[in-house]
Amino acid sequence: MQHTLRNLLLLALLLGFNQCDKTPANAVLEPYDETSLENNGGAWKTYVLANGSELSVAAPEAAGSATYSAELADLKNKMAAATGEQKDAARFWGSNAVLRWHEIARELAAEYNAAPKSNPDGTYSAPDANNPTAYPRFPFANPPYAARALALLAVAQYDALVTTWNYKFQYNRLAPYKNDASIQPLIPANDLPSYPSEDAVIAYASSEVLKFLFPGEKEFLSGRAEEHTESRLWAGANVQSDLDAGEALGKLVAERIIAYAKADKMGMANNQPGVAQLRADATARGITTQWTSLDLPARPPMLPFFFNVKTWNFDQATMIANRPAPPPAVGSAEFETAINELRDMSKNRTREQFRIASFWADGTGTYTPPGHWNRKAAELIYDKQLNELRSARVMALVNTAMHDAGVACWDTKYFYLYPRPTEMDRTIETSTGIPNFPAYTSGHSTFSGAGAEVLSYLFPDKSAELQNMAKEASESRIYGCIHYRFDSEVGLTSGKQVGQYAVQRAQTDGGE
Amino acid sequence: MRTTLLLLFFITAFFLVSNAQTPNDGIMMPERNWCNMLQYSHSSWDEYWEGPNKRSNANIGTITTQSVMLMTNYGISDRLNILAGVPYIRTASDVSYLDGQSGVQDLSVWMKYQAYGHTFKSGSMFKAFATGGVSIPVSNYVPDFLPFSIGLQSKTASLRGILHFSLKNGLYATAQGGHTWRSNMKTDREAYLFHNDLIYSNEVVVPNMVDASGRLGFLNKKFQAELWYDYFTGLSGDDIRYNDMPFPCNKMQAASAGVFAKYYFGHLAISASANQVLSGRNVGLGTTFTGAVFYFFELSKKAASDK
Repeated sequence: MQHTLRNLLLLALLLGFNQCDKTPANAVLEPYDETSLENNGGAWKTYVLANGSELSVAAPEAAGSATYSAELADLKNKMAAATGEQKDAARFWGSNAVLRWHEIARELAAEYNAAPKSNPDGTYSAPDANNPTAYPRFPFANPPYAARALALLAVAQYDALVTTWNYKFQYNRLAPYKNDASIQPLIPANDLPSYPSEDAVIAYASSEVLKFLFPGEKEFLSGRAEEHTESRLWAGANVQSDLDAGEALGKLVAERIIAYAKADKMGMANNQPGVAQLRADATARGITTQWTSLDLPARPPMLPFFFNVKTWNFDQATMIANRPAPPPAVGSAEFETAINELRDMSKNRTREQFRIASFWADGTGTYTPPGHWNRKAAELIYDKQLNELRSARVMALVNTAMHDAGVACWDTKYFYLYPRPTEMDRTIETSTGIPNFPAYTSGHSTFSGAGAEVLSYLFPDKSAELQNMAKEASESRIYGCIHYRFDSEVGLTSGKQVGQYAVQRAQTDGGE
Repeated sequence: MRTTLLLLFFITAFFLVSNAQTPNDGIMMPERNWCNMLQYSHSSWDEYWEGPNKRSNANIGTITTQSVMLMTNYGISDRLNILAGVPYIRTASDVSYLDGQSGVQDLSVWMKYQAYGHTFKSGSMFKAFATGGVSIPVSNYVPDFLPFSIGLQSKTASLRGILHFSLKNGLYATAQGGHTWRSNMKTDREAYLFHNDLIYSNEVVVPNMVDASGRLGFLNKKFQAELWYDYFTGLSGDDIRYNDMPFPCNKMQAASAGVFAKYYFGHLAISASANQVLSGRNVGLGTTFTGAVFYFFELSKKAASDK
């Protein structure tokens, strides 16, 4: 009998019981050799800046100067004094700083993706950019907000790096370890000129733009930027003047991006009093069965004027010309076919369909669908070991496309004000929350179509996988019963069309 | 054998509180005696704790969890019992459009061993028991859809110690405490927030738990009645995010109290119990009612040493 408990524990082990009480650690990205230097990167087409030489960067001290020698000596002291933690930080930031800052952005997007709770009187308070830490915190990082934020971050990094490359190859200051053979960098050496430091540029372009987007996180973001910049000294990769010039340039670019963002009409996107007019306009066009909120109490629609926000790769007239045709009339045969599919799905959803719906749900507390594709882009970049400039280009192309997809989709949504399936039949039960905005077209499908289209162009060997992912993401909304099939199919097609505008840009931006 | 009450909060993977001849009481089946139980349980709540704050939510209204459970207990000897149970569970909300879930949940198996027994001259008895158990999910239910999920798809192992003191007149007191280890689970998503860090994985730590309870009761050959108080807490985990859904890595805690009665008719018995959560964290303010029927087999004529 004494063996009973022991045998029981052995049984537990046999059953595969795994007493692993540790949250999985996120994968460590290793620094890699950036093989291609992109000598002409300074001539690539920028988004907000006129070009890579619009902003000026002062010439550095010559490599043989006393000032530079003093900097090298200082660098060697800092390297020698670096703690284990600081060396880890050097490798952390050295593994692809563009991606590191997108990781930070995705985490903030997830953390701030929280729909405000209703007030006792049944109203909802809107987040206030001027009082970001008071509840409800600013921002509510919903999918349109996240799409715009990731695009602004990506554009800031890209424009800043094009400028950086322009001056790197204009001034051609060698890296410290090329000027002094006794310096053994902690990250792979390369032939890229070191002035201004691309890392300091990325750190300050990124952190300043993110501070504008997540104003409650200023302290956290400053801390990350400082560590990132200093890590280049611990790594032996830059001298202080490389970093100072990079910091100044990064901040200048950020100012320009923030000025752009302040004027992109996002400030008016939550104009709730304007919704009555949107509804009246739709009624005048014969749309009488209109979407209403299913939240209890009824919640004001999510960013009803996001469709007015400035797009990156086409203008508003083009967007309106490309607006999808009207959805099937409520009650039509086509509508009945679509809603019957959902009635059946609601009753007979398989575990696999549930899994797919959850996998792509990207709802509250997540980095949203644009974040999902942002992550996918980062994985592709890391697999291909792209350098910082080329990484930033991929991120700018795909994230601006998804921003545009969000704007175009919101235009369609608030033009047709199409009701959700569960509004039309309360017996349709969903496996994910019903988003608080009209159904047609599916936002997930539009984001995914755009993201997959751009990434397929940039990573042609992954095209089949990416297109399948987009199709699955699109269908996941049917499995979840929150979209009719036509919402998803038309959204996916529309997203791909949006993505093509970014592809056209990629063909002519100098980065081919 | 008497009922095991399944306390239904956001999760149901955890067998808790109970009444007699279960993994956490002070009563054993005699050798070669076999008891089978069929139990129905109904649990509901319309308020819950989001972290430390109690609230309601118009979007989920009242959550009701019903379960039907089969349980069996066999006396390998007077001092060693083997027990097993498996519930079918169904969840639903009265207002939400979210899809209520149903299915067979986890199979649990326990060994219960009486390590010590002493009879005083007065006829009072003191006994000490140890129980070890394991559970494994037995269907492909959805674990990350709280509060509608019927379980967490986590394997568990538990160890507990039980002290039981009874008087000759049938009054008894029981104190028990246990530790449950729970394996990591896999969610359908590939990233989630834990303590506001974004974890790039589908693997989620399900917090281990400890629980303790105290019981006072009366037992004779025809009748049993009991009052109990129970407490459990997760040993790690975070709080439900503000105005968000619960997640499997949340730290759950609850204190509850309950009453139980059972009546024997020869080889048959019936029981009823009620249980109320008193305080908690990241759990529902649940009220549970349970009814069960039992059937006893004696596979040999050996006299029952305890029943």
